[in-house]
Amino acid sequence: MNNENEITGADILLKALKDQEVDTIFGYPGGAVLPIYDAIFGQNFLKHVLVRQEAGAVHAAEGYARSSGKVGVLLVTSGPGVTNVVTGLTDALMDSIPIVCISGQVPSHLIGTDAFQECDTTGITRPCTKHNYLVKDVSKLSETIHEAFKIASSGRPGPVLIDIPKDVQFAKSKYISKKDISFREHRIKAGSKNVDKNFVEELVNHIKKSERPIFYVGGGCLNSGHQASQELIKLVNKTNIPITTTLHGLGCFPGEDKTSLGMLGMHGNYEANLAMNKCDLMINVGARFDDRVTGRLDAFSPESIKFHIDIDQSSINKNVKVNFHSNTDITLTLKEINSFIDSNNIDFGDKNYSNWWGQINEWRKKECLHYEQGDEVIKPQHAISRLYELTKQKDTFITTEVGQHQMWAAQYYKFSKPNRWITSGGLGTMGFGMPAAVGAQMANPDSLVIDIAGEASFLMNIQEIATAVQYKLPIKIFILNNEYMGMVRQWQELLHGSRYSESYVDALPDFKKLAESFNAVGVRAKNISELDDTINEMISIDRPVIADIWVDKKENCFPMIPSGAAHHEMLLSKYDKENPENQEKGKVLV
Amino acid sequence: MSSTSVYPTPINAFKQSKRSVLSVIVDNEPGILARIVGLFSGRGYNIEALNVTVVDVKKNLSRITIETLGEEKVISQIIAQLEKLVPVHSATNLANLSESYEAEICLVKIEFENEEQDQKILNFADIYRSRTVQKRQNIVVYEISGTSERINKFLDDLDTIGGIKVELVRSGPIGLGI
Repeated sequence: MNNENEITGADILLKALKDQEVDTIFGYPGGAVLPIYDAIFGQNFLKHVLVRQEAGAVHAAEGYARSSGKVGVLLVTSGPGVTNVVTGLTDALMDSIPIVCISGQVPSHLIGTDAFQECDTTGITRPCTKHNYLVKDVSKLSETIHEAFKIASSGRPGPVLIDIPKDVQFAKSKYISKKDISFREHRIKAGSKNVDKNFVEELVNHIKKSERPIFYVGGGCLNSGHQASQELIKLVNKTNIPITTTLHGLGCFPGEDKTSLGMLGMHGNYEANLAMNKCDLMINVGARFDDRVTGRLDAFSPESIKFHIDIDQSSINKNVKVNFHSNTDITLTLKEINSFIDSNNIDFGDKNYSNWWGQINEWRKKECLHYEQGDEVIKPQHAISRLYELTKQKDTFITTEVGQHQMWAAQYYKFSKPNRWITSGGLGTMGFGMPAAVGAQMANPDSLVIDIAGEASFLMNIQEIATAVQYKLPIKIFILNNEYMGMVRQWQELLHGSRYSESYVDALPDFKKLAESFNAVGVRAKNISELDDTINEMISIDRPVIADIWVDKKENCFPMIPSGAAHHEMLLSKYDKENPENQEKGKVLV
Repeated sequence: MSSTSVYPTPINAFKQSKRSVLSVIVDNEPGILARIVGLFSGRGYNIEALNVTVVDVKKNLSRITIETLGEEKVISQIIAQLEKLVPVHSATNLANLSESYEAEICLVKIEFENEEQDQKILNFADIYRSRTVQKRQNIVVYEISGTSERINKFLDDLDTIGGIKVELVRSGPIGLGI
């Protein structure tokens, strides 16, 4: 055998990335990945985006993945390079985002010697990845990378990390292409391949029988692909069943459709939560009965028969016991349901659930998202509503940070297509939105990408403006500036006697000047008369823009189900404290 | 008619501490044990016994047997999450099978001082059908196998002798479903 077919580990990595059709990688160089950076230098299929801190790389990869449906890829060095991405990996694990993280490691013979920039990467990232690898033999590198991409993107997606010691990056072996690898089936946890016929029949029978059905749709529908959302729309149109989505489900179903009840959960719509509480049939499509959604478990939808479609077996019967489940891909399951209905000529036309809709329309009259916009100070809700109105004609991608602004964005911005809404739900990572916008803009260069931010979250990964400027990414950072960690302040107000311990963000920078110092553009709206012009100006500038929107400092986010309360025990405004007795109990919860 | 207890029974006492023996088939590769153990330690659950051995050299498979105490609901969730781990082929709670068999092996080294103790030890060893691995002067090493309960009883009986020194090692339970 000659060695002519043998190439270095670094080149194998590049070949494998090309094979996987990766065209963008987010990263930051360092000693233990220099051979890989050398390989990147001599090629042109892969665009490398240099972030300013590794946390930026991982959130950018998440934003890229969420907005494109592809796997996001990042490259970081050993030690601090990898410890900086731990938060983002955990975020991607919680929110089921497919990313592959390549990390450099000290040379094999130095592992375990406390070498410079050494850390136990696979040990640290084991609980925050779907799977991880330490590649000690270059001949295993090709198949490891291909398996990593397969695992990241199949079943319930998630982050996968590949740790490559520096000597393995230099060592030579033959490249094995993707098509020559046969995956061992048990390692790809892709759910069951066949839809359970019994599940489909039971579901259709229950839909026929039920008086008060509801669809409860989560991020799993998004991860199953655009077709899932098409099938869902078909099914809803056929049945006229009301539909509510989780934070991550927004966009799976057109938010302005009359059958949509909007988001449910802690800050969800009154009608959505009440309908969940009173329904007699719940059809869960790719949601995981999260505590932010269910409220107090013993009072969660007490009268309903529950159906659950989830590709992740461990999400079934975890928090809430269900009557029927399908451990199969959502697209497949919904298709099967639709074709069962069609082939058996089942018509729900006469059903219509008119009493149920009558009840729901009564709840809608509460207008739970109502707010009073005065003629001076900008209400944060109004800022989002205007942003929506002024951008809805464009194909707009919204990312967010975490806190009040995030919930207002979810409530007042309407999404009609999947993958346009990119937010950190499970982990709730402040500092997520701006780098995620960088990733989303890389994946969608011609679209409008806006990070709806709070001033406190924005400061957590502010360095990434430089990345946006360097790559001419015209992302917009729309800051609802209330000088507070608003959600912390809201909880302190409701649960801790308005003792605002450390939630005021003092010594804020001048965001306009800050933008200018980064060679971005800064705009500002101080009162209601400046709002629309500022938004329009922001949209019209083809460069990164920071819009500093001064909003009411004391505004709170309602409706709200206090921790430890049930769906029907919502607070509709600060004047509406119906269930104060729950608040002491709720204090110990998150 | 049943009489009422004078003391209320705390409900939590029923919730906790059900013994489970889990049997997991995995690819024999670095890190898999740590992944599995993490599912327990992350919940503050203790592993009472653990056994890991390659069972199929050709297919590179290991069987891991884990004895733990915990709430049934949490154990089911752990099983579901075990099955999600990439290198895991299957995970079973032996307690949920209609028929399963368990065994454990234990080596006991006993140092005694006099003839009387020797006789008593010999007697127990005989009752429990333990095998003599080595015997010299005042030291004897036995091998005893069976369910963990049986071994516990043997050790309890030895304890009644007094004045002897016992050192032991146990494999932890292993089990198979039929």
